[in-house]
Amino acid sequence: MTAPAGTPGREAAMTVSLLDIQDLSVVIHRPGRSVAALSNVSFTVAPGEVVGLVGESGGGKSMVARAIVGMLPNGSHATGRVGFDGADVLRMDPADLAAHRGRGAAICFQNPRGALSPTRTVGRQLIDRLVTHQKMTGDRAAESAKELFASVGIRNPGRRLEAFPHELSGGMAQRVMISLATGCAPGLLIADEPTTGLDVTLTREILRQFRHAADTDGRGVLLISHDLASIAEVCDRVVVLYAGTVVETGPAAKVLREPAHPYTRALLRSVPDVNGGRVVPTAGGMPLMTAAPHDCPFAPRCAHAGEDCRTARPETTSLTDGWSLACFHPQETALFAPQEAAPASPSDPAPLPDPQGGSSVAPGASVTADNAEQAGRVVLRVQDAHVVYRSRFGSGGHHALRGVDLELRAGETLGVVGESGCGKSTLAKLIMGLVEPSSGSVAVAGKTVGKMSRVERTRAQMVFQDPIGSLSPRRTVADSIAEPLRAAKVPADARAAKTEAALSRMELDNSILTRYPHELSGGQAQRVGIARALVGQPDLIVFDEPTSALDVTVQAQILDVIADVASDAGHGSVFISHDLATVRGFADRVVVLYLGRVVEEGPVDEVFDRPKHPYTRALLGSAPRLGESRTAEVQLVKDLDEADAATGCALAARCPFVTDTCRSQEQTLQSYGESRAACWRVPELTALIGKSA
Amino acid sequence: MRILRFVGRRLLQLIPVLLGVVVLTFLLVRVLPGDPIRSILGPNATEADADAARARFGLDQPMWKQFLDYLQGLFTGDFGTSIQSGGSVGGEMALRLGPTLELVVIAVTIAVLLAIWLGIWSARRADRVGDHTVRIFALFGNSIPEFWLGLVLILVGYATLGWFPAPSGRVDPDTNLTPLTGADLVDALITGNGPAIASSAAHLVLPVLTLVIGVLAPLLRSVRASALEVLRSEAYAAAAAHGLPEKTLLRGYLRRATLVRLPSLAALVFGTALGSTVLIEYVYSWQGFGQWALRGLLYRDYPVVQASVLIIAFAYVLVFLIADVVHAWLDPRVKI
Ligand SMILES: Nc1ncnc2c1ncn2[C@@H]1O[C@H](COP(=O)(O)OP(=O)(O)OP(=O)(O)O)[C@@H](O)[C@H]1O
Ligand code: SF4
Ligand code: SF4
Ligand SMILES: [Mg+2]
Repeated sequence: MTAPAGTPGREAAMTVSLLDIQDLSVVIHRPGRSVAALSNVSFTVAPGEVVGLVGESGGGKSMVARAIVGMLPNGSHATGRVGFDGADVLRMDPADLAAHRGRGAAICFQNPRGALSPTRTVGRQLIDRLVTHQKMTGDRAAESAKELFASVGIRNPGRRLEAFPHELSGGMAQRVMISLATGCAPGLLIADEPTTGLDVTLTREILRQFRHAADTDGRGVLLISHDLASIAEVCDRVVVLYAGTVVETGPAAKVLREPAHPYTRALLRSVPDVNGGRVVPTAGGMPLMTAAPHDCPFAPRCAHAGEDCRTARPETTSLTDGWSLACFHPQETALFAPQEAAPASPSDPAPLPDPQGGSSVAPGASVTADNAEQAGRVVLRVQDAHVVYRSRFGSGGHHALRGVDLELRAGETLGVVGESGCGKSTLAKLIMGLVEPSSGSVAVAGKTVGKMSRVERTRAQMVFQDPIGSLSPRRTVADSIAEPLRAAKVPADARAAKTEAALSRMELDNSILTRYPHELSGGQAQRVGIARALVGQPDLIVFDEPTSALDVTVQAQILDVIADVASDAGHGSVFISHDLATVRGFADRVVVLYLGRVVEEGPVDEVFDRPKHPYTRALLGSAPRLGESRTAEVQLVKDLDEADAATGCALAARCPFVTDTCRSQEQTLQSYGESRAACWRVPELTALIGKSA
Repeated sequence: MRILRFVGRRLLQLIPVLLGVVVLTFLLVRVLPGDPIRSILGPNATEADADAARARFGLDQPMWKQFLDYLQGLFTGDFGTSIQSGGSVGGEMALRLGPTLELVVIAVTIAVLLAIWLGIWSARRADRVGDHTVRIFALFGNSIPEFWLGLVLILVGYATLGWFPAPSGRVDPDTNLTPLTGADLVDALITGNGPAIASSAAHLVLPVLTLVIGVLAPLLRSVRASALEVLRSEAYAAAAAHGLPEKTLLRGYLRRATLVRLPSLAALVFGTALGSTVLIEYVYSWQGFGQWALRGLLYRDYPVVQASVLIIAFAYVLVFLIADVVHAWLDPRVKI
């Protein structure tokens, strides 16, 4: 292999490899069944190189990581070779293995909170690594622990060394985990889903840490993720896994822009894009392999499958330098037609009642009278709602919403976005009457939520994040779907007919009606959840992160269904998500929440293409975009902290444009063009950003 | 500081609990059938003798008056006069409590340490021979009745091997030990009486061993289960995957995490052990608190029963308080 002209580091990367996995297969034997977790996996990682390992849940990503540190689950049988610095990890004796773990390869675990020992301070945990692998003495170790904490962006490193894991936020725990792994000074750093559960503003920052580890310390980095688009930016090469097999490997830019394997293409198309790119769902789910496949494992879901694909397994063939794939019919056409991805085009696959935005008018914006009349009736009105979760013993409490105003009309879809902890789910519960506003009011279809009767309550329905958990385990699908109808006292025969109608709209078969939730896949369960919300023809449906617990390709299928449901003229929809891109897919209007306040609100294209508030700008700037690498024009300086919400602008502690006025003056929504934002400096911002760039 | 406030609050809560115990025992002991006066007077006493005796102990007063007198006595530290012996209950109890507490504290401490060590050892060899052996022995010890176990140990340790003194007291009288606290080993240590130290320690071995064997199993099972849980946790796997040496893993990642749930069980076991001493004291002729309280109960010696129940309740509450403080100290997630 010859290296393409590039940095000297990259050139070296192609010649000597640190990790060299050859034909690795792992079969896990369990009483009564066996699982072929990996089948003939081969790839390499060189020092200073960042390699992305992508695929959906069950694809075998974590199994690769475990094989590299020699920690396969009990009952597994591994064949092939996991070459590391010339030795084979699979054949190491306990002493060599002990030396290899940590110093050779160190993992950043998928769930940092769970992977940190709860009864030892994080500083001690880091010092343990430094003492073990870098042979430091106590004082030196404490000193460099502080430096390491600072280098991964932990505020106040000296004080944080004394913290226990439960005292850390998710983002901070992730940073600590990275410092623990780098503290082992490993040749190879393995990061298993390092950004799941993190806010968008943090994701980029954390990924940059890994690029940094490769560039400055010359470590090899293996970045494991289900989301190709988000990690591709920092990767040199990517390896795509499907059902335990490598389906495509190649330079990151190539695989991202011109993916040739149908699965890679399906993966990329399933992810919504903030530019408004279209989501193309691929039916079906990943099969569970019981033995190494003898055909193409993707064949049942593949649009290009031929007879050959079902009778033989495609060999891994090389396309160009360093780019190879396992497919009989590689695809060469562009992933999306170029004009489709252009931001201005309507992005929704399903037709909206009024795509020109007649119904998508902010309540405060000036509207012509007849335009307002054309729009549907008001189905949701929230006025200056505050929610305070009282702490258990009297004093204090958590102020989750601080004065939210919303108005939604039938046929309209309102997107609600914000980082975790900003109050999105509280808003959903408030609308559903599951929490009481401590002041302000909430009305669904003109009736105050708190005063509704049981029947009236069924006028608002909710679709939950956890699809299986939100269905009663002891009820059949038919019972679950008909639940709102029963509550609304619909007679039994009408119930059955409506249930079936709702089900067929979800493209589910009638045979599913008698099943129980645990017999459903995540995608099926979520369809049932949507059918349940839809069946009583409610005035309002609230979707609370309906796809975030699902696999990427399944997410795309469900988003497709939701887009269709949301476009009904009969009801209004509220779609809550931490992921900006999914909201752009089908919302008419968006509100951006920050620490319980609406900081920006307006028509979706306006907010996404011409964001006003510094926070919205930062959010959008850090969202991954397919095939683009760019730096955010506004970067927030610190992690989210609840204490910031006290006086003045809530963003003041993190905003690069903060002045004394911001800290002392409460910011309220003001109109700027078509949208409204709660920041007095909006008119100057464009000039300010231009200056700093 | 927070710990002090917590302890202070808990001690305040102690007052209503103990008050409740005082009222309940006072009533219960009088509801039980049997008459303490008759039991001291013997068969030939006349009704007049009995009335005179009753008046002497204040038992002829109305119930509420008796109660108020008792309460008043308690506040001035007077537990009353024993009907059986005629001595001061407070004085007798002080003499009896020392040895028993010494026995129980030593036994429970040894049992806890042994359980921690064996439990972790066992968990690290889960489902191997060593693990099974330890568990079977612990279970075996747990299922043998204490008095029988005591007799066997006497047979082996004294009669056959002759390593330990006869089960006839707590210390050799020839050592001229000056009693201070009543706990002989402690007294011997305080007064620096060499022969008494040796003698009282030797007398302690068999009873302590009996008690340890009796209470070890539940502690061991709990330590082993939580050690296994820690060993299988993601956090431990992560530390192991980072190649930390065995010693660091054991000390920093396994031990403390394993022990967080032990204190409350240990407190419970302490209570059980306190109860078991009645039989053990009997077997080893150990003039202790258990024997004294039992005798008081058998003869319906009201002041003795009231005082002993109160002390046991106090010990329970105190030990659970200590357990909570230790738990909070071990587990940083606990807020007190
Ligand atoms: N301990 C185990 N016993 C049996 N099968 C297992 C075990 N661990 C994993 N598997 C199986 O091995 C396959 C690969 O699992 P792996 O955890 O590597 O997937 P993954 O790509 O990391 O998924 P995720 O994105 O959910 O983390 C799956 O089919 C899984 O069900
Ligand atoms: S080998 Fe055939 S079935 Fe498999 S991905 Fe390629 S075209 Fe599709
Ligand atoms: S008001 Fe000030 S601190 Fe708040 S967002 Fe605007 S510029 Fe930033
Ligand atoms: Mg995984």
